Order: sequence, then structure tokens, then C-alpha cells
Amino acid sequence: MPLALFILRRLGRGVFTIWFAVTVTFLLLRLLPGDPALAVASTNMTEEARAALLVQYGLDKPLFVQYVLYLGELLRGNLGVSFTQSVPVLDVLLHRLPWTLLLTATALGLTVLVGIPLGVLAASAKGRAWDRVVQVVGVTGQSLFVPSVGIVLLFVFGLTLGWLPIGGAYDQGVYGVEWYGSVLSHLVLPAVSLTLVQLGPYVLTMRATLIDALGEDYVTLARANGLTSRRILWKHALRNALLPATTLIGLQLGFLVGGAVLTETVFAYPGIGRGIYEAVVQLDFPVLQGAFLLLAATVVAANMLTDIAYGFLDPRVKAS
Amino acid sequence: MRHNKPAVVGAALAAALALAACAPQAPADPDEGGSGATAGDDTLTIATTTDVVNYNPLIGNSRSDYWVTNLMYPHLLSIADDGTKEASLATDWGYVDETTGFYEIRDDFTWSDGEPLTADDVAWTLNAVKEDAPAGTFYGQMANFESAEAVSPTRVEVRLTQPDTSVIEEIGFWGNVVPQHVFEPEGSVAQFANDGSDGWVSAGPYLLTDVQPGQSYTLERVEEYPLVEGGTPVPAQVVYRVYPDVNTEILALQSGEVDVIANALPPAQVEQLRDTEGIEVAEVPGLGYAHMVYNMDHPDLAKTEVRQALAHAADYETIREVVLQGQAVSTGSSPLMPVLSQYYDDSVTEYEFDPELSRSLMEEAGYTAGSDGMFPVTFRLLYSLQDSVTSQWAQLVKDSAAEAGIAIELQGLERNTYLAKTDEGDYDIYAGNFAIMDDPVTNFTLSYLPDGAINYTHVDDPELTELVTQASRTDGDEKVELMREAAKIVHEQVYDNVMYTQNLYVAHSSEWDGFVVKPSELLSIVSAESVAAAHRVSE
Repeated sequence: MPLALFILRRLGRGVFTIWFAVTVTFLLLRLLPGDPALAVASTNMTEEARAALLVQYGLDKPLFVQYVLYLGELLRGNLGVSFTQSVPVLDVLLHRLPWTLLLTATALGLTVLVGIPLGVLAASAKGRAWDRVVQVVGVTGQSLFVPSVGIVLLFVFGLTLGWLPIGGAYDQGVYGVEWYGSVLSHLVLPAVSLTLVQLGPYVLTMRATLIDALGEDYVTLARANGLTSRRILWKHALRNALLPATTLIGLQLGFLVGGAVLTETVFAYPGIGRGIYEAVVQLDFPVLQGAFLLLAATVVAANMLTDIAYGFLDPRVKAS
Repeated sequence: MRHNKPAVVGAALAAALALAACAPQAPADPDEGGSGATAGDDTLTIATTTDVVNYNPLIGNSRSDYWVTNLMYPHLLSIADDGTKEASLATDWGYVDETTGFYEIRDDFTWSDGEPLTADDVAWTLNAVKEDAPAGTFYGQMANFESAEAVSPTRVEVRLTQPDTSVIEEIGFWGNVVPQHVFEPEGSVAQFANDGSDGWVSAGPYLLTDVQPGQSYTLERVEEYPLVEGGTPVPAQVVYRVYPDVNTEILALQSGEVDVIANALPPAQVEQLRDTEGIEVAEVPGLGYAHMVYNMDHPDLAKTEVRQALAHAADYETIREVVLQGQAVSTGSSPLMPVLSQYYDDSVTEYEFDPELSRSLMEEAGYTAGSDGMFPVTFRLLYSLQDSVTSQWAQLVKDSAAEAGIAIELQGLERNTYLAKTDEGDYDIYAGNFAIMDDPVTNFTLSYLPDGAINYTHVDDPELTELVTQASRTDGDEKVELMREAAKIVHEQVYDNVMYTQNLYVAHSSEWDGFVVKPSELLSIVSAESVAAAHRVSE
């Protein structure tokens, strides 16, 4: 299959996935128990005031009409206006998006940077002490829950040792280089929490695929040709083992985004995740729809890029 | 593998530029905005658990909305510990005749853009709220408001649709005054976001200058604020920082990241923080109550004896001692709480916990207990899982009711579902609480009159309605007597089961002092007057 057609098909699938996510989000929000007017108004609101609010939100119209209007606006690039803040949803999201990108990219980078060496270490020491240690770390990592890890880290490094801040993305009143330092210090705990819960599956997958790769004929041949173990491991086996790991990164992006919601909430990190939490509490449908659309698009785009990269790395994928 | 060095360097440069664009710029002149001779240079950092949702105080409804916008938009009246109203922007208020009220306001308030705050701003605000019906608490007070007129630069007269001796004080306390010259060009006050696209304008002690959603709200001192000693607020800057919950706020206070926790402390944390070095705990009078309401649309609960049986089947003393750790007072099972000293009637006493009496009342109502000692009824008690205190005592209520042979099924729900079910009347017993019930007539009108927005009992008692209606048209001792009579009916008929008023506690760093304590969590030590007067101890 030509590369252009391959990319086109992936794009088509991506657009369909985003439409599906948008539709499911739209319907699920309206199936939720609760009334956005009640969530934002005071307890002494009159029935007339409540009805006026529902009209203002466009929730007085039949569901199908709401859906068609929403899709129409979406195609024009209009995500709507926040119920509670009365400002465009895009503004709300763009304020928060950079922080989520910074957090997830850092966590993803740390996962890869720490995960590959650990996986290699375990595979090359298969059955020995290091292998067992890495496996224990990997399995433990799989069982960790972001809020639990976050609270422990906050207590130890934020309160007891006082090394790192408790919450937020940076300190007020700092500028220039000091600001970057502040951003970095605030990023450490959320990024480490998110990395710790992502690391387990990555390390275990890396280990398993590398062990498989090390059992392949080309590795035996390389050994017979006198190549050093280190060269065989890092230059030949690892490159082949990276293919499934690349897929896993794409798959993990979804979990990473989900984890960011919890992480940002625990650390009061001002990203999209924290915004989603607040929008859920306030039943702010437009913000939730916009946020989920953005996250779905991010995950779909990342998966598409992974697919396409995979296509380049492994010609058999394009053929299939 | 060969690295494409120019690409890597280019990417690094692009990333650095992108980050550089994000870095905030240092203010050109740190002293810009002015500071009086007695004012300090400190920043007071206050922790909150929610973002500011609305910068328009006429719409805002969350705690953070109130706390931040109250630093910019003055109220006509403030409140004393016993619920009586005090002067703030208004120096005098009352009635010209039965259907005309008035406010006399100060002449020394100025908006931060230099425009004077006059009676025109007050009258325009009141009329705009009535006309546009924004979804905040303010509009809910305006049922009998018809119109307002500025009859002089310092006097506003209010026309009422019918006699109402509470409305002038209630509007004065709950409503903020906004600048007409900023809000009027924006159209409906119900839809104006006031999100600071062109900056904010303040007549309070501080002006919002920087917003980082999800993280912080920074306010800078304004030069003149007449309600603070010396005329200039003491802290140069106030920063509200957002944390996920009170527990994280406490960590931040202990680590010195914040100076004040605006939210009331959970009862279990109060004693621990009192013993923590470097932290002060301030007691704040409560002006609300926690209660259980029995839905009279339910045929069993429509019987007075059944409601009385339920009222005598809860151990209130244990709830206050165990769940609230003694940080609550009995109201005598009356909505006229002791804190409302003018209205409180000590002849009305709390429903005694007496399972045997409950059983007798159930039998009187025509029920017979089975061989297991249980009556053939089950009531569903609805409460919000976000309310940790109610969630705890709901279990105690269930256990003590079982002693009286009455089965209660607990239904703890997520807040929005809880609100929806409450609104639909989909409960047998409703458990919840009110933060501020400062005016008995308003409270009774909303809670016990047929069209009341929070009439969760669904009560329609003509005698009670008549008493409350009469009270809304009288004043002084006569009004108090009428309300006491009304409260007796509520108590006897168990139209409401008021369980306690919670004493509230807030924490601040011992490095700060000078706070002015006001009742309720909304005001506590973070009212405009309090924040403007706070100072570092070392100063």
C-alpha cells in the first residue's frame, strides 16, 4: 500500500474516532443526574430564574437539536461558552493546556528515559538479582494509584523535608530565571508521581520484548560473528525490541492523560485535568465537551503518529 | 545513527523561546499603585479549595467567588455576630413608609479608575439585578423589590411591591455594588463575565491584577479604602492560591506556603492545629445550621406522630460530641438559633433522644412492630457525600432510629445528583445544612411557606404562613413575638429538625495578626475589612 494512502486511512480513522468521542461525551454528559442550573445557582433561585438559565445554556431544546447545533458550531471551530464562567471554552482550555502538555511530556520523557535502561538491565540479567528487583519495581508500579503516591510524596518532600512546594505550577512574584526554577521545582512531584505509575508496564514490556529479541537467530549469528554482548544488546536487539515499546507509548498516552487529571487534582496543578475536575463539579458541559475533545484529539494524533512512525520503522505494517 | 544537529539545536531554541514567552514579566515599578505611610509591603497568601468561577459578583456563587470579588465590590451592609446588620458602604438605612426603603451611603468611596462611587451606582446595580435576574444569591432576596432611585449622590430610595421589613437589610447584606460605568455598557448583568479583558475596576481594598486559573489570583492594594484604619490597606498584595482540599491547605500552611486557610477546618483537625507551633486557630461564629427535613409528600411522613417519632430517635448530643468533637451548639431543635439572640426562645427545647417515646408515637400513628421489633416502614435518608460531617452523622441517625424500631436506608450521593434529587423531592428524609440563615423572616419564608424555594418539607400550614406573612410586615418586638410563635409551630409539628449550629474554625500563620472576625465561613477572617487590616506580627 502506498505511504500516502496508508496515512490517509489513518487520518480517516482518527477523524471517525474523534467524532465518536465527541458524540459519546455529548450524550453521557446529558445522561448525568443533575442540572447545570442547580449546580451554579444559589438555593433560593426561583423557577423562572432557573428556566431562564436553561434557555441561556441552550438546554431547553430537544437533545437532537442540541447535538446538531453543537456539531455545527464545532465544525466552525466554536467550542461554545462556559456555563459558569461566561467566557469562550477555547480561552478556558488554552489557559490550561500548556501546563498539561508540560506535565505529560515530562512524565512520558522520564518514563522512556528510566524505563529503557531498567528493561535492558532486567533482560540482560534475566533470572538474576537485578532482574528480580526490576520485576518487583515493575509490578509494584503497576499497582500504584496516583493520588496515594502523590499524597505520600507531598508529605515526605513537601512537608517533612520541605524540599519541594505543596501545590501550583510556580510561585507568585518570581520572574526571569527564577521563574524557570520555580516551574521546575513545582513540576518535580507531579511528574514523578505520574512517571511512577506509568513506569511499571513500560519496564515489564521492555524486558519481555528484549528477552524475546535476544533469543532470535540474528542475535545468535551476531554472537557467532564475534560481536560484543553490549553491542548486540544495545545496537541490534534493543532496536528491534523498541517497536512494541513504541506502540505501548502510544497506548499509554491515554492512561497518561487520565493520570494527569488525578495528578493535577492532587497537586493543584493548573492544567486541563484540574479544569475537568472543576467542570464536573459545576456540570459545565461546554468546558467538559471541549476538554474531552482536546484530549481525544491529542491521544488520536499521538496514536496516528505512532502508527505512521511504525509504518516507517516496519514496512510490514504498511503492507498489512 | 547520525544526529541532525541543526534540527536538534533549532528544536531546543524553539522550546526555549516558547518557555520564555510563558515567563511572567517583572512589574516595571514595584511601588506602582501607591502605598500609604502606614501600609506594609507584605503579601498575604490565602488558601482556597476552588477556583474563582465568576468575577461578576452579581452572578458568583462559590466561596472563592465571594472571597475574591468582595475585595473589589463593596456591600452596603455588614453583619454582627448575632446576625444584626452593621454599616459598611451604607451609613444609615431603613424605611420611609411601608413600601419605601432607603440607604444613605458614604461619600468617600472611589472606584479605582477615579470615578466616584455614588448612589447612582447603587440604584443602577439594584435595578439591573431585578431586571436581568442573575443566578446568584443576590437576586433571590429581591422578591418584593420593585425599583430603586438615587434621590441624591448619597441617598437611594427603594420601592417595594408590598410591605417587607426584612428586604432592605437582606439586599444590603447580600448584594455587592458594581460600577455602573463599567457594567452598563456590557448589557445584561446576568451574562457579563467581567473576566478582566480590559482590567478590573474596584472600590474595595484590593484590585485583581493577575489570574492564573487553577493556581492563583493576585490582588494589589488600592490607595484609599475608607473602611480600614489609616485609610490604606496594610498588606501590599493578597494572593489566593488554589489547593485540592483542606488537608493539602493544612500542609501548605504548615510548610509556610500560605498564611491563611480561608475554608473552615474539619472538626477533627481543629485540636491538632491548635497544638501546632506557628499556627493560630480563630473561632468564627456560625450563622447557619444542620438539619433533617421530613418529606410530607410521603404518606407516612405526613403524619405528625411519625415525624415526632423520628425526631426523638436521634441522639443529638452524641452527634455533636462525637462527630463535631463538641464544636457545635444545640439550637433547641429550633430554626431560631441561639446566635440570633434577639429571636432565640429558650422555652423551646431540643427533642430528647428517647427510643421508647418514639415507639409509643409510632404506635399512636397506627403502626405495629414486628417480632424483630421493627415497624413496617423504611425511610430513605438523602445526603451529599461531599459533606463529610453529615456523612458521618447520617450513620449515627440510622443506628439510633433502629433502636426505636424505625429502619432508615442511607443514600449518600455525589453533590450534583443530591441537588437534583432534592429539587425533585426524591427523598424521604433530607439531610443538609445552610451556611447563613441571618434573617428569620426570610429563612421561614423560603423554608416553610408553600412557594418557598427551599421548602424541602413541602409544608403548607396556613397558620404558619399567616404568622410569617404578618411578621414580614411588622418590626421590633411584635416581629420577634410572631417569629417565636411561628418557630413553636415548626418545632411542634416537626416541619424541620434543626440539629445544631456548628462553630467554625479557621487557621492562620502566627506571623500574621490583626484579622477582624466576622460570622460565617463566607466572611470569617477574609472579609474585605479583615484582609485590609491584617499585618505581620513583627511590624
